[in-house]
Amino acid sequence: MIIVTYVKHVPDAEARLSTEGGRIAVDGASFALDGMDEYGVEQAVRWKEAGIAREVVAVALGPAAAETALRTALALGADRAVLIETDDDLDPVAQATPLADAVRRAGADVLFVGGKQADWDSAALGPAVAEALGWPLCDWAIELRVEGTTLEAVHDVDDGVEAWSAPLPAVVTTQQGLNEPRYPTLPNIMKAKRKPFEHVALAGVAARTSTLAAALPSRARRGVRLEGDPAAVAADLVRRLRDEAKAL
Amino acid sequence: MDFALSDELLELQQAVRAFARREIAPVAAALDRDPRFPWPTLRRMGEMGLLGVLTPEAYGGLGLGHLAYAVLLEEVAAADASHATIASVTNGLPQAMILRHGTEVQRRRWLPRLASGEWIGAFCLTEAHAGSDAAALRTRAVPVDGGYRLRGSKAWITSGGEAHLYLVLARTDPTTEAGARGITAFVVERDAPGLSFGAPERKLGQHAAITAGAVLDDVFVPSDQRLGAEGQGFVLAMDALDGGRVGIAAQALGIGRAALDAALAHAGERRAFGRPIREFQGVAFRLADVALRLDAARLLTHRAAWALDRAARATKEAAMAKLAASEASVDACDAAIQVLGAYGYSADYPVERYWRDARVTTIYEGTSEIQRVVIARQLHREHGRSVPEPVT
Repeated sequence: MIIVTYVKHVPDAEARLSTEGGRIAVDGASFALDGMDEYGVEQAVRWKEAGIAREVVAVALGPAAAETALRTALALGADRAVLIETDDDLDPVAQATPLADAVRRAGADVLFVGGKQADWDSAALGPAVAEALGWPLCDWAIELRVEGTTLEAVHDVDDGVEAWSAPLPAVVTTQQGLNEPRYPTLPNIMKAKRKPFEHVALAGVAARTSTLAAALPSRARRGVRLEGDPAAVAADLVRRLRDEAKAL
Repeated sequence: MDFALSDELLELQQAVRAFARREIAPVAAALDRDPRFPWPTLRRMGEMGLLGVLTPEAYGGLGLGHLAYAVLLEEVAAADASHATIASVTNGLPQAMILRHGTEVQRRRWLPRLASGEWIGAFCLTEAHAGSDAAALRTRAVPVDGGYRLRGSKAWITSGGEAHLYLVLARTDPTTEAGARGITAFVVERDAPGLSFGAPERKLGQHAAITAGAVLDDVFVPSDQRLGAEGQGFVLAMDALDGGRVGIAAQALGIGRAALDAALAHAGERRAFGRPIREFQGVAFRLADVALRLDAARLLTHRAAWALDRAARATKEAAMAKLAASEASVDACDAAIQVLGAYGYSADYPVERYWRDARVTTIYEGTSEIQRVVIARQLHREHGRSVPEPVT
């Protein structure tokens, strides 16, 4: 089995972002491999270690700087990396075509994609690539098993979890709970520099959406002050926390 | 001249920072209260590569230089000083000495186990009466058929009783005239009959870096476990000390940085007289001075490490780095306690632990006073070289 595991290069969780001229300013922010994609890399590497997978290919689509995320995937155990290089902002549907091409070129049986991407929080890429490949999609997987040529999974659905199975090939979107991703160790970070790394120029794909403006969500607080009889205020507070804020 | 760390080193630093924050920092307070040698986290440090940083890849280490070693050890120390002390000893003393002075057979025998962290290494130089004056050591190594018998006691052994391998300095020539030239280095494994350890010392700080005395009661050491020639031991030990001092400097910087971070966080949040206390110059100037001293010490430390990557010795540079970093670190911790006020004095906050952990950095691996002696001696040597002999 050959696995392609998609990795996205996103500002790390501690990065402070701002907007400038209607665009997100990311200069100075440190970038990292998207946390949701790490579960896919981990799963692929575990299957390689267990002899289920023959090769793990990490694929990214984005600017030259996305090399960092791919190097992390190599340090975590992927065998080789492919960077489809572009500086354009492509929406997930536009990204699906070149990504599907890369999956076919690698001769992959499984594609792992993070359940959603941390930059725009869209959960569209996995379904879009599955559509482009014509493969079945298992989204939000929390358990995975290969039985012969069948992929068996347990995945989250709106009202609980569901058992899922389909013949390979398939696209799987990954999330917390699937496994516990390992750390890149220093020896593996150093070895990653010696693994094959392929740069592919993006061609023939145009963005079908464009960003008109970007703004940070405002964080105005409602600042409700409850006054009056302490017992009544306490009861009101509990009601608000339970029924409105859903915090209880 | 370039003050930036290489991209590769920055990447390793980030990886170790994330590792140390997630794995080491969360256990530091509990290990301080209930001291135990931190085997579970040391195992993970071994997998990470942190217990064989300087040892070449051929022997299972990372094969990095002293600059990388200093940068990575600072990250460990910023999470917990005890872990940094254990790592500093096993990396910088037994491994560095076996690598430099061991035979190929000795390197293959011990380095892979030490570099992977399967074994922890310790260093036995100090004795109860011989600290700064290490050459006054009295432990004897008497030649016998096939090897030596070691008899004596060692004090303040980091990882004593826990480590698997002890690099022991003992006297093969007891005559007074032999002095430091009568000392020889040996590798003693933990299960050697006659080797025993005292109860862990009760210390001000660094509680998880277990320290104990060792007793060598007629311990037989085969000849193939002698490191270097007879009488060379003291030179070998002094040779390793430059690297050891860079390690302690880096450790001190890490503790000092943790203290500064805690003080900055508190000074931004804590309000008094209607404003965050960082807006008062009394607090702001103190923190500015702390940052200045830590940064200056970091530059000295990186320079000493850089020099050691280019030459076998960098004695003055290493002594300056160790002196500056350890004293800046204690000062940073003291400032952090003052900025946090009563919270700084409370064991529920980490800064009093930082101070207790940092305090020994001005004592071990050569006290501040010894560092000044070393610096002054080097100054006179260099001065002598540049000044022509007086004409008589």
